[in-house]
Amino acid sequence: MNRILLSIIRKEFHHILRDPQTLVIIIIQPIIMLFLYGYAITLDMKQIEIAITDYSKTPQSRQLIHQIESTSFFKVTAFDIPERGFDRLFKERKARCALIIPSDFARSLHSKQNTKIQLLVDASDPNAANYIYKYLLQINARFTFKNNPHLVQPFLMEPRILYNPDLKAHNFFVPGLIAIIMLLISSLLTSIAIVREKERGTMEQILVSPVRPLQILVGKVIPYILIAFLDGVLIVALGHLWFRVPIIGSGLFLAATLILYVLTGLSFGLLVSTITDSQRMAMLTTLMATILPTIMLSGFIFPVASMPKIFQYLSITIPATHFLEIIRGIMLKGNGLADLTRQVLFLFGISFFLLLLSVKKFRTTLE
Amino acid sequence: MQRILYLIQKEFRQILREPAFLGLIFGAPLIQVLILGFAITTDVKNVPMIMVDQDHSQMSNRLVEAFSNTKSFHFLGQVGTAKEAVHLLDRNKIKLAVVIPPHFERDLKTGRQPRVQLLADGVDGNSAGVALSYANQIALKLQKQWFPRLPHAPGTVKEIHLTGIEARMLYNPSLESVNNIVPGILAVLVMLITSFLTGMTIVREKEIGTLEQLMVTPIRRGELILGKVIPLIIVGLLLFTIAIISAGLVFGLWMKGNILTLYGMSLLFMMTTLGMGIFASTLARNQQQSMFITWFLGIFAILLSGFFIPIENMPRVIQWITYLNPVRYFMIVIREIYLKGTALHYLWKEALEMTVFGGAMLTMATLRFHKRVG
Amino acid sequence: MSQIQNSNTADTVPMEDDTMAVSVRELTRNFGKFTAVDRVSFSVQKGEIFGFLGANGAGKTTTIRMLCGLLLPTSGQASIAGFNVYTEAEQIKMHIGYMSQRFSLYEDLTVRENIQFYGGVYGLSRKQIKEKTRELLDYLNLWDQANKLTADLPLGWKQRMALSTTLLHDPQIIFLDEPTSGVDPVSRRNFWLLIYKLAARGKTVFVTTHYMDEAEYCNRLSIMRFGKIVEIGPPGELKAKYHARTMQDVFMNIEHREER
Ligand SMILES: Nc1ncnc2c1ncn2[C@@H]1O[C@H](COP(=O)(O)OP(=O)(O)OP(=O)(O)O)[C@@H](O)[C@H]1O
Ligand SMILES: [Mg+2]
Repeated sequence: MNRILLSIIRKEFHHILRDPQTLVIIIIQPIIMLFLYGYAITLDMKQIEIAITDYSKTPQSRQLIHQIESTSFFKVTAFDIPERGFDRLFKERKARCALIIPSDFARSLHSKQNTKIQLLVDASDPNAANYIYKYLLQINARFTFKNNPHLVQPFLMEPRILYNPDLKAHNFFVPGLIAIIMLLISSLLTSIAIVREKERGTMEQILVSPVRPLQILVGKVIPYILIAFLDGVLIVALGHLWFRVPIIGSGLFLAATLILYVLTGLSFGLLVSTITDSQRMAMLTTLMATILPTIMLSGFIFPVASMPKIFQYLSITIPATHFLEIIRGIMLKGNGLADLTRQVLFLFGISFFLLLLSVKKFRTTLE
Repeated sequence: MQRILYLIQKEFRQILREPAFLGLIFGAPLIQVLILGFAITTDVKNVPMIMVDQDHSQMSNRLVEAFSNTKSFHFLGQVGTAKEAVHLLDRNKIKLAVVIPPHFERDLKTGRQPRVQLLADGVDGNSAGVALSYANQIALKLQKQWFPRLPHAPGTVKEIHLTGIEARMLYNPSLESVNNIVPGILAVLVMLITSFLTGMTIVREKEIGTLEQLMVTPIRRGELILGKVIPLIIVGLLLFTIAIISAGLVFGLWMKGNILTLYGMSLLFMMTTLGMGIFASTLARNQQQSMFITWFLGIFAILLSGFFIPIENMPRVIQWITYLNPVRYFMIVIREIYLKGTALHYLWKEALEMTVFGGAMLTMATLRFHKRVG
Repeated sequence: MSQIQNSNTADTVPMEDDTMAVSVRELTRNFGKFTAVDRVSFSVQKGEIFGFLGANGAGKTTTIRMLCGLLLPTSGQASIAGFNVYTEAEQIKMHIGYMSQRFSLYEDLTVRENIQFYGGVYGLSRKQIKEKTRELLDYLNLWDQANKLTADLPLGWKQRMALSTTLLHDPQIIFLDEPTSGVDPVSRRNFWLLIYKLAARGKTVFVTTHYMDEAEYCNRLSIMRFGKIVEIGPPGELKAKYHARTMQDVFMNIEHREER
């Protein structure tokens, strides 16, 4: 029994290690991805192009403009464009928004209770549009307080940010990337592990030997678990040492959950591998069915709570959703098993279900 | 020319003969458009939160009410102490807790400016920032209302002059992220499918051995490539059309601009993706490798295209890299045409860039693609 | 089709003796440090059935690929139908048929579609393709299977079909790389009858094989070992030289001699 299993494991290792392309995928791609994504993904915006048309031309309006110019959020790219020129400005993408200070700005600042400034925003990127609006509201509030020494807020809002006080994007994305990369490796690699043998005809050869289906599956999975786990450790180490993402919780617990997560990815890959007939189909299925939805639905970038209800339910079936909570919890919040029982149980459940299904499917394909 | 026709015919016969594959290349993209279009909202809403009211006064009640009645927050109730709130934050049950201090009402009325604490989960810095600004807005409304109640207010109310911003959101007034995401998905689909398929159909023939057979025929290298590429262009355009129609039917999102411009542009864009596919096929010995190569290139191309991470937000160096990414240009073009109806003469620069890229990529790939095996 | 043939005959003058279909001098191919084909020289006359023997890895396929213009030689000279392999690979392709060691038909196309496709690729007109299809189906007796997927045919028929499709453009020289491996004895016999017919029509057939009975059918044989040609001559002469009754014995003899 053990010897059979060992020989399958050994063979599988040889497959993996002899294929340089695969090695590149396993080692180089994750590192490149971590670095590129780690640096590229920052959602804080800066240097937004703004056009300002000042009809007032008074010290007051200049004061407002000065406040806008002095932030790194905005970059003034056009001055005093007539209003009919804005459409063109937006279509040429020379500016994302335009501020129009009315001619009676200074006068009404002394006489009226409320003075309106007009803002035009190119909202084709609604997220950015929102940011721009919010940021200008803040500038405006500052401007208002400066001009109204009597204005006192009845109560104050005092934010206290926990876990990631500087709101560093790395702390959010690096653990997320680890989850995505691990999934990519584990599911994509195993998805072809069995189909490849089917295509080459070597599966028949194995099947005529006295090996039980379960042994084949286990033998195939173990090397990948090991490799994917080591990969995970590598990436976590890089994230910790290079990107300075803290690991507040227990490293051991993190390692244990990493193995569990890898197992889920592998079981999905195995399932795909047992139900498809060609490597091409297997890889396309894996890509379409796991990786893209995982990136989009797991909370990697887009918060799950903001999605429509059905997708929130759907995201429960995605292993990465749970693992993201686990890894972020352990690394940033110092969560222990007690805080994460639910997520861990979900991962167990999913991988058990997938494994069961693939063993069952694998049996039936033999007949 | 006639030989190309035979190649195309053969290619289509092969495609049509594999229904599962056909289903995958047409079905999967559709599902992607639907799922991603519905699911991806870059807007932050329904942020789970609780309140800790340590005052239980009329005014603190008003504050609690204000938070419980918005779409931005998913109000989960109240707990007694800030400690409990932190515990909930620890366990990921909530993202924000608003703590109203004891004697809130009394302090407010006597002008002592009570401090309401916002405890935010900063792990997702972006969402946290947005949630905080939502909270501030809600507070601002009450602050305005309550200002006159301050002890010194009556005398100064007249001297207050506020400025307000009147924003007009152009091209996408409802600020729906679907409008921005769906065109992006279309671009990504075109790119993934065409480059994947090109690489794989060529490498498959390499694996089977028929490519060697084709190479000893007098067919020219250009003809061979065209014969491979034209069916994929047709498949790509068909897929693009289906995706456009389904995006329109499902999301009510139709392009504002000229449809011919869009198709023209997508052809220019496909030059690059097809070139990429051919290139991958010359490097790869089997389909698996070719998929890995295209996937590898594709994942970076998508990331650096501005699809969901605006390029302006990226560090300088990475912004420079994005100029080498043809998807970046197509992403701009498709969004402009879809949302703003931008005419061709504002997009010629992107068109030019895609042409240069596509031309270079195709030439390079064709040069690498020999009618030899070794 | 006509345009292609015209362009070939007009501006390219055969460079060697007209009776030689293939002539090779000092042809060499290296893969990195490894020499797969090592300074081989031989020539094949028109209408000859030329056999290529040698153990696995001897360099047969590599040689054929160079002759077909699929692989650039590292050094040496070769001309096929009078065309130079370095400079006139495309002209060569008009004049040769090649059946690779791997299966060369599209398994997911039907028999008829395969014929149509290869006919089209060789630039045959629609009418010619129709005629050829009829001719081939008649000849191979495949009318019942014409609309079946090629994958579903028995191997022997597939191979004969593959040969037939390489003949669609009526090439002068035909390269067959192990055309009969895995084929049953009856089908193999049928296959060789086909080869004989071709030779009788003046075609040159260049064939590699591991079957010694097939070797006996050839007009002339060359035996390769580790990239070199160690023997060349008609089967009868080789048998006499080695005092052997069969080609099998000759082959074994050579392998043993070289081992020592
Ligand atoms: N593209 C290549 N790269 C490196 N080595 C190669 C390549 N093609 C062939 N070889 C090597 O060259 C040698 C000769 O190969 P070739 O295929 O010509 O042998 P063969 O006589 O056709 O053998 P068989 O009877 O098995 O078909 C072999 O050792 C093979 O490994
Ligand atoms: Mg060979």
